[in-house]
Amino acid sequence: MRRRLIAGLTLALVASTVAACGSDKDSGGSGTSSGGVDNVTVGIIPIIDVAPIYLGQSKGFFKSRDIELKLEAGQGGAAIVPGVVSGQFQFGFSNLTSLMVAQTKNVPVKVVAAGVSSTGEQGKDFGAVVVKGGSPIKTAKDLAGKKISVNTLKNIGDTATRNSVRKAGGDDKSIDFVEMPFPTMQAALEGGQIDAAWVVEPQLSSIKAAGGREVASTFVDAAPDLTIAAYFTAQKLIADKPDVVKRFTEAMNESMTYADAHPDEVRQILTAYTKIDDKTRAAVVLPKWPTEINKASVQTVADLGTQDGIFASAPDLGKLLP
Amino acid sequence: MTSARRGGNPARPGLAGLAGLLLIVELLPRLRLVNDRFLPPTSRIAAALADEVSTSTFWHSLGETLYAWAIGLVVAVVAGVLAGLVIGSVPLLRALTASTVEFLRPIPSVALIPLAVLLYGTQLGSTLLLVCYAAFWQVLVQVLYGVADVDPVAEETARSFRFSAWGRVRHVLWPTALPYVFTGFRLAASVALVLTVTAELVIGAPGLGKEIATAQNSDAVATMYALIVVTGALGVVINLLTRTGERRLLAWHQSVRGEVTV
Repeated sequence: MRRRLIAGLTLALVASTVAACGSDKDSGGSGTSSGGVDNVTVGIIPIIDVAPIYLGQSKGFFKSRDIELKLEAGQGGAAIVPGVVSGQFQFGFSNLTSLMVAQTKNVPVKVVAAGVSSTGEQGKDFGAVVVKGGSPIKTAKDLAGKKISVNTLKNIGDTATRNSVRKAGGDDKSIDFVEMPFPTMQAALEGGQIDAAWVVEPQLSSIKAAGGREVASTFVDAAPDLTIAAYFTAQKLIADKPDVVKRFTEAMNESMTYADAHPDEVRQILTAYTKIDDKTRAAVVLPKWPTEINKASVQTVADLGTQDGIFASAPDLGKLLP
Repeated sequence: MTSARRGGNPARPGLAGLAGLLLIVELLPRLRLVNDRFLPPTSRIAAALADEVSTSTFWHSLGETLYAWAIGLVVAVVAGVLAGLVIGSVPLLRALTASTVEFLRPIPSVALIPLAVLLYGTQLGSTLLLVCYAAFWQVLVQVLYGVADVDPVAEETARSFRFSAWGRVRHVLWPTALPYVFTGFRLAASVALVLTVTAELVIGAPGLGKEIATAQNSDAVATMYALIVVTGALGVVINLLTRTGERRLLAWHQSVRGEVTV
């Protein structure tokens, strides 16, 4: 009797667990094609940089090429590279420094389209090192020995900042970099926990609006018209479905060209995936979206990163870039 | 109990306390004691909340949070109750699993985030994994206590009366364990909400947590606070509902009906 009861309960338990596991599975079916249309999932970070892909989606640039686009705006940019390699995403958006780190570790990724570029104008770029209004720091040279926040250590933020300080004749080795998320930097700056912050839009605009002062346009200092990020895929997809990759690249290029030509529509599409308020939305400095990857600028960042010891070995851009 | 009878509506001081908090949050930034960029006054948070409530994204996210919470909770409760009854009623199983349970239970669910992302990416599955894991132990442990609490005399009496195994579960074990099951359910319901929002916030799975993260990244501070208030309100509502449900369904039990004063 007792044994039968136990057997029954155990069976029910196993059944419920199996059912639970079954319901967990997402039946997205990404990467599959149905009726000639390819379902493509793209891993992105919900920031201003990716506005063209949202704009292209709403304009039908992907649909017209038989691509059904699904955008996955996870918070962790770190999850995008593994997601693309494992096939969870067909494409991903990442800054080139992170992609170069992946390349030096022989992760099979390849860039398929440009992502976002600096405006190339001193003082009018979408990323910069800023200080409090009353700070004694006047130029990049004064940043030596100071505490500067970056969103990720050993990445484009600290490399570019070191480069700006070196160029201005300061000692970059004495800089104390600390890691913190962009949204908390303004409070840390005003509270005096850090001396300067390396930020991008929209935080850059709001810090400047609160009286902050820009001391270095780090992307502009690094290289003229620096290509900062790119869309990439796994080498397996290029081998298996070269046609999908080709159409994605075309759609992406059309989206970026359109975005560059229609800044008002870019500012408008931001409401679709961010909560940036109307005032900031009108004020932010938009990046540039050229379709060409500025290879010389990427090489410069690779050299700077190698010099700063970010990469285990010098990145092989021939393998990474198209 | 007594205070409820003596002091009228017990919710009143609580509401006064809440009003006081709202007033303090309104005054702190207005008096420039804190920077209103980092803590906007109540009125501005309320305005941001009103804006949010009028968007379809908000209701969609709220739905997704509640959906993930409910699915995770149901799976955890069903699995927890069944596992608890089986493990609890077989002394050998209990002895075999005791150390394993004590090892697995304290593992913070958030430590499983990398695993969840690896398995399910930024989808509902990630949230469910964390929610189920955290809520399951709450229920299991309570059910184990409940099963252990069965009165041996009642159990022996049932046996003497040749109750079937099912009859003993139905009439002896289950009524004893039920209050524990409810405690487990109530704890699991709160823990499940915490983990649902955490998963959405950290992993970026769809829901209110993700909206909070988006607001934070967009520098929309008032909106961020407004959404946090919503998750708080959700917690209060869930707690009230589970408490009310517990009182209704356990009205017959001595822990709820109270002892007769002699």
